[in-house]
Amino acid sequence: MKNNVKPVLVLTVICLVISLLLGVVNYFTAPVIADNDQKAANASLVVVMPEGGSFEEIDISAYELPATVVAAFKAENGGHVIKLSTAGYGSGMVIMCGVNTEGMVTGAECIASNETLGFEKTYGASFKDVTDVESVDTIATATLTTTAYKNAIKDAQNANIILSGGSVDIRTEEQILADNLALVLPEAEGAFSEVFIAETVDASVNKIFEAENGAGYVVKLGENFVSTDAKGIVINSTDASVEAIASDAVKLVTSTKLSEIDLSDYELPRGLKKTLEKAYVTESGNYVFEMKAAGYGVNAKYGANGVYIKIKISISADGVIISCVTTEQAETEKIGDVCGKESYYSQYNGKDAETYKEVETIAGASEYTDPAYKGAVRQSFEAYEFFKGGLE
Amino acid sequence: MNTKENKLSFLTNGIIKENPVFVLVLGTCPTLAVTTSVIGAFSMGIAAMVVLICSNMVISALRNIIPDKVRIPCYIVVIAGFVTIVSMVMHAYLPELYDMLGLYLALIVVNCIILGRAEMFASKHSVIESALDGVGMGIGFTLALLSMALIREVIGNGTFMGMAIPYFENFTINIFKMAPGGFMVFGFMIAIVNYFTKGRAIKKKDFGCEGCPNMSACSGGCEGCKKEGE
Repeated sequence: MKNNVKPVLVLTVICLVISLLLGVVNYFTAPVIADNDQKAANASLVVVMPEGGSFEEIDISAYELPATVVAAFKAENGGHVIKLSTAGYGSGMVIMCGVNTEGMVTGAECIASNETLGFEKTYGASFKDVTDVESVDTIATATLTTTAYKNAIKDAQNANIILSGGSVDIRTEEQILADNLALVLPEAEGAFSEVFIAETVDASVNKIFEAENGAGYVVKLGENFVSTDAKGIVINSTDASVEAIASDAVKLVTSTKLSEIDLSDYELPRGLKKTLEKAYVTESGNYVFEMKAAGYGVNAKYGANGVYIKIKISISADGVIISCVTTEQAETEKIGDVCGKESYYSQYNGKDAETYKEVETIAGASEYTDPAYKGAVRQSFEAYEFFKGGLE
Repeated sequence: MNTKENKLSFLTNGIIKENPVFVLVLGTCPTLAVTTSVIGAFSMGIAAMVVLICSNMVISALRNIIPDKVRIPCYIVVIAGFVTIVSMVMHAYLPELYDMLGLYLALIVVNCIILGRAEMFASKHSVIESALDGVGMGIGFTLALLSMALIREVIGNGTFMGMAIPYFENFTINIFKMAPGGFMVFGFMIAIVNYFTKGRAIKKKDFGCEGCPNMSACSGGCEGCKKEGE
């Protein structure tokens, strides 16, 4: 018994003495450590807002801030330092941005990142004393990184407004569109699909959406939205002055009949044989072509997935693109897949056989995706000329 | 005189003859981890020396009280306590060095040098002798780290104590900053020490059963092990 009691007793006493000693040392060092940690945290805040004075962290859960905001600090001078987390080429890009009471960026610094080229380390200096973030150029060889950085700075400015008691619409473009569609046609229950426009409609018409449950249509004209029933009778609108245009557009589009052209009846030129999948003609002499293009997904030396870029393009009887839509693509994420975005392919609307070349090259995709896409658009014009009788 | 010579040998043994890094090959983890910079190496060496001296003295003072059954847990509690104290003090008053050493400061607890000297020396010698041994081993450890850091930082980074060295900064050999380079330098340093001690240091590593930490747990003693192996 004694042999077991003494070891336990000795060990226990040693533990207690050491614990007491640690407690004493902790009593003296803990306040110093806490002070050091506070100074280190403040140091990163002072870098982006040198005249901020002292900083106090804000509980951001009480506000509806942009998704990239992860922390916010109120400065003594009224401005805010916003901590943001975003993704450029890689994920985990953390940016500290100071914004003063006038919305001007006092400083921006990337404190953590996984980007490949390192531009994010110095790009923040471009925003110092800037109010209009769009005036800062992205870096051509680091488009993803610098675009993400710019968007984060804009989010910081918006967050500053919200935290100062103002209001900012922080919804994404998709969210705003969905909200507007639901506003004018709630019967559609939020399920819409975009109608491909093959007829020449009024220039103010941007897009037409069809409710998937047959409740009707919504026409987007600039910032305005007009809903109609299946026959084009106006139900609701955000601006009464455009209702007639919207109604006419829906009637035109719903009455459009596409006649498929049997391609086997024609000896197509070699280029068209490779790219033209289907062709249609409308009663008014407009053409609709379904094209396929071999981009990075097909031609890449490594990692090719065999997926072609599929484009649906309507060309009016006088040779102007009515509508261009990418229906399928599997190009490189965040690089070539830009060709699948409405902001890209809608640039071709209204272009003719010469002016389509003015569409901006997709950054980072100038070797495969962009030339393939533009090649398919060029081929669609050749198809137009062919079927009009201009080509042999 | 013999007593004074003995005490002096306790101090000097750890520097070359029983250098903990290049002869006893203990504490290899921090040796490779922190020797990419001279400042880091020096900080680690001093921190380990403080822990070594304090733990040696306390363990020596308690050597007649601590029962054999619980000696290892007691040693570890003492060592961990001193490492935590050093860690808290550095965090409070030397935050840059604290950040530089990072995880390896806390890993001093499991540094073989500390526990090894506690077991092999402090538990068998007086407080003064144990303190001298701690100083000697600490100096030897620090010098070993510094010699490696000098090579790795200058050649691998082109700097010395963070300051750029002309010519070297333009012709760095990056592998010296990485693990393979660290092992290479380590191996060469052991070879150099072995050469200059003419192999005597290596022979001294054979401490027999007396120097084996597992002696009390060993059933047959060294003779028993030899019979099994033969």
